[in-house]
Amino acid sequence: MSSFIEIDQLDKIFPLADGGQYIALKNIDLKIQKGEFISLIGHSGCGKSTLLNMISGLDLPTNGGVILEGRQIQGPGPDRMVVFQNYSLLPWLSVRQNIALAVNEVMGNLPVGERKAIVNQAITMVGLRHAANKKPGQLSGGMKQRVAIARGLAIKPKVLLLDEPFGALDALTRGNLQEKLMEIVEENHVTTVMVTHDVDEALLLSDRIVMLTTGPEAHIGQILEVPIPRPRHRLEVVNHPSYYALRNEMVYFLNQQKRTKKGKSAVAPLTIAANGLEKINLNLGFIPLTDSAPLIIAQEKGFFAEEGLTQVTLSRENSWKTIGLGVAENRLDAACMLAGMPLSMTVGAGGKQPLPMVTAMVLSRNGNSITLNKKFQAKGVKTLEDLQRAIASTPDAVHTFAMVHPASMHNLMLRYWLASGGIDPDQDVSLTVIPPAQMVSNLKAGNIDGYCVGEPWNSHSVIDDCGYVVATDLDIWPGHPEKVLGVTQEWANKYPSTHLALIKALLRACEYCDDRRNREEVLGILAKPEYVGVPKEYISPGFTQPYRRNLEDEPENLLRYNQFFVDQGNYPSRAEGLWILTQLARWGYTSFPRNWVEVLERVRRPDLLGEACRQLGLPDFEPNRQNFSLFDGMVFNPDDPLGYLERLTIKRDFRVSEILIDEPVS
Amino acid sequence: MVTQTSLRKKNPLVSIFKSIFKSPQKVIAPLVALAILLIIWQILASGENVSLPSPTKVIADTWDPYIIDPFFDNGGVDKGLFWQILASLRRVAIGFSLATVVGIALGILIGSNKLFYSALDPIFQVLRTIPPLAWLPISLAAMRQADPSAIFVIFITAIWPIIINTTVGVQQIPQDYRNVSKVLRLSNLTFFFNILIPSTLPYIFTGLKIGIGLSWLAIIAAEMLVGGVGIGFFIWDAYNSGYMSEIIIALVYVGIIGLLLDRLVSFIASLVVAEEQQ
Repeated sequence: MSSFIEIDQLDKIFPLADGGQYIALKNIDLKIQKGEFISLIGHSGCGKSTLLNMISGLDLPTNGGVILEGRQIQGPGPDRMVVFQNYSLLPWLSVRQNIALAVNEVMGNLPVGERKAIVNQAITMVGLRHAANKKPGQLSGGMKQRVAIARGLAIKPKVLLLDEPFGALDALTRGNLQEKLMEIVEENHVTTVMVTHDVDEALLLSDRIVMLTTGPEAHIGQILEVPIPRPRHRLEVVNHPSYYALRNEMVYFLNQQKRTKKGKSAVAPLTIAANGLEKINLNLGFIPLTDSAPLIIAQEKGFFAEEGLTQVTLSRENSWKTIGLGVAENRLDAACMLAGMPLSMTVGAGGKQPLPMVTAMVLSRNGNSITLNKKFQAKGVKTLEDLQRAIASTPDAVHTFAMVHPASMHNLMLRYWLASGGIDPDQDVSLTVIPPAQMVSNLKAGNIDGYCVGEPWNSHSVIDDCGYVVATDLDIWPGHPEKVLGVTQEWANKYPSTHLALIKALLRACEYCDDRRNREEVLGILAKPEYVGVPKEYISPGFTQPYRRNLEDEPENLLRYNQFFVDQGNYPSRAEGLWILTQLARWGYTSFPRNWVEVLERVRRPDLLGEACRQLGLPDFEPNRQNFSLFDGMVFNPDDPLGYLERLTIKRDFRVSEILIDEPVS
Repeated sequence: MVTQTSLRKKNPLVSIFKSIFKSPQKVIAPLVALAILLIIWQILASGENVSLPSPTKVIADTWDPYIIDPFFDNGGVDKGLFWQILASLRRVAIGFSLATVVGIALGILIGSNKLFYSALDPIFQVLRTIPPLAWLPISLAAMRQADPSAIFVIFITAIWPIIINTTVGVQQIPQDYRNVSKVLRLSNLTFFFNILIPSTLPYIFTGLKIGIGLSWLAIIAAEMLVGGVGIGFFIWDAYNSGYMSEIIIALVYVGIIGLLLDRLVSFIASLVVAEEQQ
């Protein structure tokens, strides 16, 4: 709220000559504090200068906006002075006249003497008194840039915008000018945004470095804080312990971006089969669960057919493992997958061959609960603390909990929940994988003490009075991504229009499912034997009816228990993906990918969802890129995943290693 | 580099002398070529029954009064070459000045307004291809007087390159300068005098240079047709009287004056246009 400059979900789209459009910047979110020095860095053509132009007002964003002190920027003005890349001094005016032109125009209300004094002061500040009456043509590049900076600062702007200010200068001049700029900026407390491609320059000058991904649809990939204390000096900053770590991080980021670009370039699409699509006979996998609804509804309500996918077969699978295998072996074209599966398949979790996957949309959020065996209820276990005490009081007993897949949110959230209550999910209890539909019978048989699964398998136990819900998703992480659409990267590149049609159909289905007027109808369809195949009363809690945690307490109204569309639910947020990667590493399923930016860029593809939205005429999904936290309040900062991992107390030894996605798959 | 440019800026003559000493070849070579040409001409023209007079004969014929006394005035059109050239230059000066004022104004208008540009540019492109003398009958018919008609021809000849170059100049104002003016929110007046005009000057001078050359070409032809005092009519008169030597000496003057006019405009440009733009 109190930020000085707020860049809010900004998009920039350029129309192309052939009638198409080029999305240069997508969903840029950035808050800048007063007096902060921000660098924008990225490969050339990534839109960093465009972004700077939009702060200056020389260019206006297509969507979203830039807010300076609470007012939206509508055009250029002297409160946001730009120092241009090529100095932009007027060659027919002397140094003094160039500065005076700006001062006279902007501060015309001041008396002449005062204005003169300001001009002189600006010239002195950059040490150019001896050259005050020379024309720019007689000055060296470094001197010209000093004049440009003096002109910029003389008019006392609120924000100073620098577009690669030292790009054309030799190293020595550049170094001197950087120090000079730092001094001046610190003295005047100017908020500064600088575009650069020089990592050392960014490190020396900035408080924060904003790294942009490579376009099209460039967005903020990572933000680095530079903790080096000020005043800084060029020759001393390198001695700061974090200097080389930060520098490596930036260089690494930029290198990753080169590779990301390579992975996205599609193979030439195949010939069109029918309806303008490359493939219309799709085999889609799902698991009998309430949150498979989007797939089922898209089929039953004809959304697939309307988008040209006229021969879709839904394949009911037994376990998440078979879903993963089915997609990997091309038996299934796509599947409703667990949120973590595409990422864990891409990084090759569990020692498997990495298989690049693509997720263009989240199909559902929430919808899981942790169910405990009735015997805990008898012991009075109502909360995590109670459970911890109960487990600690019986150290000899082996408590077994079940989840559905290592890469499932069920597993990651169950583990997170247990660990934050002081229960080590690997040492204090035993975790096992059981397919969703077999949970209830295993609980009844006493094989497991509890489980985390999606509906209807929690309500089933509650209604059958063999278990009770101790925590729902809404208690742990409301609005977490649950199911996603997963396809292989190869498939996505081979059938781009088909993929898009699939996304569109599912998006419409998600919208349909979240309309509460349709819920009864959806419920009826889900209950059919070929889909979930259980009586309606097991599915309805939380879906159409209030949710029951147990038979004793009053049911609660949990309107977001199954969330398919609302609150930009379908957006495959990279920050959420990053959280999943941290958790996979935390429990030792995979090492944490050092090239996490690249992995997320390639796996989670909001650009495809955005394209589908535009084709459907829906407003684009553009959630804010910000920190979030789960129920225990520990903040997850998407720019510092390793710091987050370090702060978690219960964890396995994790490694950080580079995961090469493009290794040839034999 | 730096010394050279600054010298040229101070005084073109100095740099001319400098370059003579620096590279004598550049001065000696054309002089030798000229001498050879004159010798060949002399040889070709020295035979019997040759209508073209030889260089020596030209000088002998025109020594008195045309070379030694350019200022004689016997009344009517019988005047020295100085007066003849002055009369022509006066017409050029009036016509060209008018063309400069109107051309620059129109050029700025068209260059800064897309609608005007798309409306008028095609018309100008057609008009500029009309040979100068083709305008003469119309202007004679309209004005019924020799002198204004000749001036009009100069005006209409010189104006097109000035308009077109000014237009391009305004359109080519670097985006950088426009950005500066946008960021500083320069008023229209400040923008006009501090950015538009200085930035367009090099283009304007290109137009002026082409325009002055064309004017000088046109005035000779126009004067041949309209008569009166003037170097053009002097040539025509000499032809009618069969004085070949007078024609030749007049041509030499015409050439030298044309060159000087061109250099004059360049010189003014070098004074006015900032170094970085040249």
